[in-house]
Amino acid sequence: MKRLLLVMLVVTMVAAMLVGCAPKTPAPVDPGPGPTDPTPPPPPALKVGMVTDAGTIDDKSFNQGTWEGILKAAADFGLETRYLQPGGETTSFYLTEIGNLVDAGFNMIICPGFKFEEAIFEAQTLYPNTKFVILDGYPHSGDWAPAVGDNTVSIFFTEHEAGFLGGAAAAMHLKTGDVGFIGGMEIPAVQLFNWGFQQGVAYANANLGTSVTIKPENVIYQGTFYDVAAGQQLAATMYDRGVKAIFAAAGGVGVGVINEAKARASAGQEVWVVGVDVDQYSEGEYATGKSIILTSAMKGIGVAAYDMIADALADTFPGGEILTFSAENFGVGIPAENPNLDAAISAKVNELFEMMRDGTLVVSNEQGSLIK
Amino acid sequence: MKFRSGFNRKYVLSLLAVLLGLIAGAILMSSTGHNPVEGYRYLFRGGLMNLARVGNTMAIATTLILTGLSVAFAFKTGLFNIGASGQMLMGGLAATAIGLTYSWPRPVLLTAMMLAAMLAGGLWAAIAGFLKARFNVHEVVATIMLNWIAFWTIYYVIPGYFKGPFLETESRRLPAAATLRWPWLSSQFSGSYINIGIFIALAAVIVVAFVLERTTLGYELKAVGYNRHAAEAAGIKVNARMVLSMGIAGALAGLAGGVFYAGYAATMQIGILPSQGFDGIAVALLGASSPWGVWVAGLFFGVLHTGKGFMTAMTRIPPEIADTIIATIIYFAATSVLVERYWDSIDRSLSARRERRSVSKEEGGN
Repeated sequence: MKRLLLVMLVVTMVAAMLVGCAPKTPAPVDPGPGPTDPTPPPPPALKVGMVTDAGTIDDKSFNQGTWEGILKAAADFGLETRYLQPGGETTSFYLTEIGNLVDAGFNMIICPGFKFEEAIFEAQTLYPNTKFVILDGYPHSGDWAPAVGDNTVSIFFTEHEAGFLGGAAAAMHLKTGDVGFIGGMEIPAVQLFNWGFQQGVAYANANLGTSVTIKPENVIYQGTFYDVAAGQQLAATMYDRGVKAIFAAAGGVGVGVINEAKARASAGQEVWVVGVDVDQYSEGEYATGKSIILTSAMKGIGVAAYDMIADALADTFPGGEILTFSAENFGVGIPAENPNLDAAISAKVNELFEMMRDGTLVVSNEQGSLIK
Repeated sequence: MKFRSGFNRKYVLSLLAVLLGLIAGAILMSSTGHNPVEGYRYLFRGGLMNLARVGNTMAIATTLILTGLSVAFAFKTGLFNIGASGQMLMGGLAATAIGLTYSWPRPVLLTAMMLAAMLAGGLWAAIAGFLKARFNVHEVVATIMLNWIAFWTIYYVIPGYFKGPFLETESRRLPAAATLRWPWLSSQFSGSYINIGIFIALAAVIVVAFVLERTTLGYELKAVGYNRHAAEAAGIKVNARMVLSMGIAGALAGLAGGVFYAGYAATMQIGILPSQGFDGIAVALLGASSPWGVWVAGLFFGVLHTGKGFMTAMTRIPPEIADTIIATIIYFAATSVLVERYWDSIDRSLSARRERRSVSKEEGGN
């Protein structure tokens, strides 16, 4: 009887909604270009598409940062934009979505993440009239030999420089005690953040009078970029061990770290998180004007996307090149405003940043004797 | 009741369920301010508008058909195999391991890879079957847990033994000879990802249909599914049959992993539980657990998955809404069981009323 009731309820609901919506149907929506037309539309209007990496568009870091750069460019230049989420994380899934964008007339496609390397390699030949930008990777055929097509730009960042600044800032703020690192997957970009962070702490200990330690057990790669609950557990364990600040370079896992820190800060405990990729200050707000984000190791993903779009519009798209966004060209850094840092510390960090720019301070991009 | 249900009626009910799903999806599109006619046009165009897209649809469907078959087969014995994802991983791992290790002649290599995939998936699922038969551990719990054991096994084994020169997070790429891609077939479909896997899936459908309908084993398995105790009383070794049924279901899911990781993809990545295993449940439900029903349902889901991106690209429906629409269609489509029961209860109450009317003079009614 209950089952019958349920079925009837569902059918009634569906019927009611159908009737309610029926008149709406004829309203025309976004005509778009000819659906069967496989070639891009003749006018050179730029349509910018993006295919997301692992995780969602609102991951507070990599995808979101890229997409916000695209949106900013769209607002400034009046462009049509769209992002697609692939059904999986292999080349075939990525190429399917790239094909969908191309078929729909998008002639510039930005893909954040090294996982796109082989997909872009195939796409740049398959769609010679489409411009491709790949962040954190370069196209290759599976043999790791760079093959950047004339219609493709590959962009790397010096994550170790950003991590260094985050580490130095955290050490100067805490002066003593433990700090930790939680990474997503053990991939180059995340490793660079980690190594830079450790060097930043070591630099502050050696030159700026702090005595902050990083214990090996407090350097962890969770293994995914989406497991929020695991991030929260790892953070809880570290904070329980007495860690005062965690640098989380971990996408969705980092969201869990931030959640744990917010809960503890609300309860009166002194805990901090060093954010990643974008300025995460507002993500860490737990009360008006209070955030657990000490500072953020920023990577100019949005800037990179914006610049490439601007270049494409100005007909100066640097196709075929591998670009590096570093401190030198303001591609990485920490936010201009850090409400949780003293003015003196902010000034010191800026000084370090300038030293990186003129080459007096060199951050290594190799592991050496660093942890993990 | 189930014994008398004819195939035709089941298919009508499934079609009805799909229709309900499409209507629900249309409502969702309308309520978010999008034109459902446009949306569906691009959805189906995206899946079918040219040969390359038809090929891609079939490539996506290949995996779904096999996982659907796996879930459907377990259903027949009254078991719920939620662990197709983990079995896929184990199957994919076995196939990848052989493909990366040996360089036998291609037909031998591919056969060995697929057999290994079936064996690995089968053994993996048989663990759940054994736990169920021996200790009465519910197979839903056991298979879900095994999913995660498989997930972390991959996490350890791939970087440990099969990683590429630079990346820690995925296996080396399978050499072309160790994949199911067939240049001739791809070129027939203008360079799509279709591969020999679709024929393997077809063969699996035929074999499963034969086993279920024409063999003693199939009869016994179904008997266990309809009524365990009656089957036991009739002398069928219920426990052994349950282990075997899970094993076969696992072998099919393992094969799905084999064709997915050596056909659609050429590498295995860590940190991913393939969603196709869960989609297989919906495919099995929509296909009314019959092998050919699963074949059709798998192709239908292939269209949805392939067309989704094109729909998003052509309209302004955001990917999240598109996902919700697809999920709604799948959800409603999977409720064909519900529609069937509703149908039955109408049927029953009508005939009951008729009977009551004819005998109302003798009995006082109720």
